[in-house]
Amino acid sequence: MADGTIKIDGRTVPFEKGDTVIKAAYKAGIDIPHYCWHPGLSAPANCRMCLVDVEPPPGRPKMQLDVLHWDAQTNDYVVGKKTKLIPACQQPCADGMSVLSDSSDEVSQARKTVQELLLLNHPVDCPICDQAGECDLQDYWLEHDRSKKRMMDEPVHKPKAEVFGETIVYDAERCIMCTRCIRVSKEVAKDPVLDMRQRGNRNEIFVAQGRTLDHEYSLMTEHVCPVGALTSNHFRFKARVWFLRSGRSVCQGCATGCNAYLDYDPRDNKPYRYRPRDNESVNGYWMCDSGMLSYPEAYEGRLETALVGGEDSDLADALEQAAEKLRGLESDGARVAIVLSAQHSCEDNLALAHVGKAFFGVKDLYVARRPDGEGDDILMHADKNSNSAGVRLVAEKLGLEPPRPMSALVEALGKDRYDYIVSLGAEVDCDASRLKEKLSKLKGFVALASHEGPLSKAAHIALPAASWAEAAGTYVNAKGHAQLADKVLVPRGAAHPAWQLVLALAKALGFTTDWKKRADLEGVLFPPALEEPSATPAPEAPATVEVQP
Amino acid sequence: MTQAAWTKPAPRTPIATKVIARPQRTPHVQSYVPEWLKGTALTMKHFFTNTKERMLGQKRDPVLENFDGGITTIEYPEERRPYPDRYRGLHRLTTRDDGSPRCVACLCCSTACPAQCIHIEPAEYPDGDERRGYERYPSVFVIDELRCVFCGFCVEACPCDAIRMDTGMHPAAYDSRDQFIYDQPILLSMVGRDGGRKTENPRHEPGDPTHPGVTREHESH
Repeated sequence: MADGTIKIDGRTVPFEKGDTVIKAAYKAGIDIPHYCWHPGLSAPANCRMCLVDVEPPPGRPKMQLDVLHWDAQTNDYVVGKKTKLIPACQQPCADGMSVLSDSSDEVSQARKTVQELLLLNHPVDCPICDQAGECDLQDYWLEHDRSKKRMMDEPVHKPKAEVFGETIVYDAERCIMCTRCIRVSKEVAKDPVLDMRQRGNRNEIFVAQGRTLDHEYSLMTEHVCPVGALTSNHFRFKARVWFLRSGRSVCQGCATGCNAYLDYDPRDNKPYRYRPRDNESVNGYWMCDSGMLSYPEAYEGRLETALVGGEDSDLADALEQAAEKLRGLESDGARVAIVLSAQHSCEDNLALAHVGKAFFGVKDLYVARRPDGEGDDILMHADKNSNSAGVRLVAEKLGLEPPRPMSALVEALGKDRYDYIVSLGAEVDCDASRLKEKLSKLKGFVALASHEGPLSKAAHIALPAASWAEAAGTYVNAKGHAQLADKVLVPRGAAHPAWQLVLALAKALGFTTDWKKRADLEGVLFPPALEEPSATPAPEAPATVEVQP
Repeated sequence: MTQAAWTKPAPRTPIATKVIARPQRTPHVQSYVPEWLKGTALTMKHFFTNTKERMLGQKRDPVLENFDGGITTIEYPEERRPYPDRYRGLHRLTTRDDGSPRCVACLCCSTACPAQCIHIEPAEYPDGDERRGYERYPSVFVIDELRCVFCGFCVEACPCDAIRMDTGMHPAAYDSRDQFIYDQPILLSMVGRDGGRKTENPRHEPGDPTHPGVTREHESH
């Protein structure tokens, strides 16, 4: 796999053909300080922070520059030599190459100088800057500079709080002109709406005339900004990053299943933002705007208490009444329909489908899903459900027909095929009013939902399920990667993971399983346990697998 | 170490005692009246001394006089001991000339606060305001003085000299706990112990010639 090795400060680092020094170091976990380089973007080498000393091949002289040093003793300049440093983001690796980074005094001096230069006109308004706490300028100043400003002049002032678009606000004074935002627009979003104008210390980023920064990846410009120049309108002034904690999550916006960090404040149990989590095989380093802005779904429109006949109720009472409704239906599968959800985890769906098959003896599964939307050829998928493939996998594992859409359920209800329904999920992709009319004729309808929606409203008994952020769960994306999203938040209200509610309901009906914890359910679907949670392809499911409950 | 050390304890030294004679049950003592008169006389002596000193303004501060005689109490709250100059009292928010809070809602104080008693919600100045982009302001600023441990870290952390503990007042108990929740108007209404609202560290305000401005029109450097 590796095409050779280089040495960085004496440490052997493998590289692949085409890797630059900084990329090889990045893969090996060695930090070469940088602003403009990003693993997912091209390298313009304009920040000069990643300068390293590349040693010459054996027998060749070191490349040196003539410079004038100030000699304080003679009070005059003296001619001296200085090593020619090379930006690590531009230097391709060659086998046997030796690079000096942290161990070279000249490199340290260069970093200190670059850092001082970048801070020359910086307003140092860290107290009101959202980037403070995760700012490369702060980190690298502490690591490589730690000196006071020597310039006595008033810094150059540039526009502040310039609105670039609905999502992004720009502060030119804080900008260090790394051009990452320009490159994200051009290379990731394929919409070159940003560019830079002026030069030197007047340099600034601007939006193309007659345009706003409105492409679908505008928040990625803020995400890659190493300083506080670009800020997100949705996160601006909302929280200080040092109060936030991160949980590993999976975006629920579409079937791509982008890996993300969900940043939340543990003091108020509230998420504040998504950040893309690097995963080369799924989303690279990016997420789309609609995904980035889907974090409020963790607290907006939630079903937080159990509902019995539309009235708030105690969860234990609701479970008892739900069991009462469904009692005496053992092996009466023809009258019972099970509705799975493409927005719930595989575990939730497996628990419900298994109880449906083994206890009620149902043959027909249906799936509640969000209607399809627009997709693109970058990250966004037209299927706006996070676990469509997972629902199909569950049905396959249980040896049932693939779940049918909700429109088929409406049709079947029109023919009075079912008297009882147990459903999972909130949103439906069929005509909600028609569905409601049909559902009102049922003898028993129990809905498990994390959010309020047509199903929870029509149900005789609605049980509050935990959202994706409140319970660990496995989601299978459109490419077939089974990905684990961790539990990040404490469940709101009386919410519990849906699989626990299903098993509690089954127990009240007199049907028990061996499943005690989530991993038991995951083990049924993905027999070899997922070691690395992200990006493990779902194993090929055999045609007939008997579930061992 | 020998066995005898624990089998046979050392002889105890006799305790020196002092025999106190019982009070004689004379009619003088038994009748109680003379002793009561003695005690009352002492009380009345203090009463008249205090009254005289108070009327004539001769009363000395018992702390400053090092408790050398006299009385050791003061009549709080009419009389108060002076707090030291650097006494950390109730917080106040300093203001600019136009009366708006100096605070820019950076949350440095609530970050530094070990008791987590400061709650701030930052907000942005509306479009067109000269301060937009230059700084932000607190839409909500609440200090729970019951939680506060008066360490003064918030004052140290503040980059704008916006919060001070120089009111010279201690949080006083009224009739409910809610009254210890100091919100922004209360904090802004408090003054320093010298009665003033002036602060060091004046900032460049929009309109001042020193204010850098946020657009290119101001640029003259």
